[in-house]
Amino acid sequence: MAQKITLKIEGMECPNCSMILESMEDKLDGLLQVEASYHKEQVKVEFDENKVTISRIKAEVQRLGYRVVDEG
Amino acid sequence: METILIAFATGLTTGGLSCLAVQGGLLASSLSHQIENTVQLKQKPGRKKIPRKSVKPQFALPILIFLLAKLVAYTALGFLLGLLGQMFQLSILTRAILQIAIGVFMLGTALRMLNVHPIFRYFAFEPPAFIRKKLRKTAIEAKGSDLSTPAFLGFLTVLIPCGVTQAMMAIALGSGDPLQGMALMFAFTLGASPVFFAVAYFTTRIGSKLEKHFMRFVAILILVLAVITIDTGITLAGSPISLSRLFKTSNSVQANIIPNTVENQSQVTSTTDQTNPSNNSDQYSSGTDAESFTISINVENYGYSPDVIHAKADVPIILELKTDNIFSCSRAFVIPSLRIQKILPATGVETISLPAQEAGKKLPFSCSMGMYTGIIIFDL
Repeated sequence: MAQKITLKIEGMECPNCSMILESMEDKLDGLLQVEASYHKEQVKVEFDENKVTISRIKAEVQRLGYRVVDEG
Repeated sequence: METILIAFATGLTTGGLSCLAVQGGLLASSLSHQIENTVQLKQKPGRKKIPRKSVKPQFALPILIFLLAKLVAYTALGFLLGLLGQMFQLSILTRAILQIAIGVFMLGTALRMLNVHPIFRYFAFEPPAFIRKKLRKTAIEAKGSDLSTPAFLGFLTVLIPCGVTQAMMAIALGSGDPLQGMALMFAFTLGASPVFFAVAYFTTRIGSKLEKHFMRFVAILILVLAVITIDTGITLAGSPISLSRLFKTSNSVQANIIPNTVENQSQVTSTTDQTNPSNNSDQYSSGTDAESFTISINVENYGYSPDVIHAKADVPIILELKTDNIFSCSRAFVIPSLRIQKILPATGVETISLPAQEAGKKLPFSCSMGMYTGIIIFDL
């Protein structure tokens, strides 16, 4: 079932960090749509909860060099 | 030709650093694929240990492709700007507003880079989500040949010109000639390329700590350029108060109190009033009759001489602008408050008739970039 989550991110230094974060969509199975914003320092993720967990998404964000400071 | 050389020199000295500050993100993004490939190669389990040298990301070629694409894009932009300038003659006020807006943008960019407040993040252009997606898909489809990404991103830099580039774009626009505009932007972008390449190449190797320090340095440089750009915009708007004018006025006041010094001060003298023409022949020209007066100004590569002129009020004035092998923007002479703008010949004399001005009036003049300034004070 599709779920939506907004993660507040720390460490986005330039607009291209959005592209780097959005690249999760191609690597992590179960991510339906990823939209990051450098301006708002956040990433909106739509995912299939049967295939991927929130903690796995957070771990991927971390692996890319960013920190999740809040989620909603 | 000299203007093209100046554009090249500007690119070489300030363009590279300034552009890297604004467009460095796009370049980093184009390199991220290379970096990621290397990381994946290093992390892959069960793979034979690969010598360190062979997994080092190859940055030189993508940076070169990026810069080449950028060069093509900006040359084309120069052509379009020149064409646009040919079609619409920008007014002095429009140019001043444009200059101030550019300065504010640069200021915001510098404050963003210094992480002063999250609000300044909005000064950075973030490509729309659909362009980012398209870009990502293009990069994935390219698979082995990752060079399409730096090429595409190189073209995209045209959407986020840095402050110095924007100033050069304004000159290309002001040239009013597509070929001149094209040559200007080509020379400038080419000039900016070596510094851009060197810094980008070494930054990818010097580590994030040093990179942070470097970006701070660039931010401060942009901050200084922003203040200068806003100041020149204010000057161009015809304001008698600006940083450059404040600095200039204080110099000139000192010069004015030195007796028999004519270097920084000119007077307008009618034929009938003139008692010793041999003394004044170089700096002051006499009027042809008692009703009109001529002020002679030497236009130099780095300003105007004299730059503070005391003139007689309530009589028409003829400005005589002399150039001798001048190729800087001082040739683009403007008097904002009277909406007068004139492109002077490289060598020659050009005259401008000014209507009579009331006593006490101050008439600031400058080059079209607002960099070189002067003032006529009607207090005689």
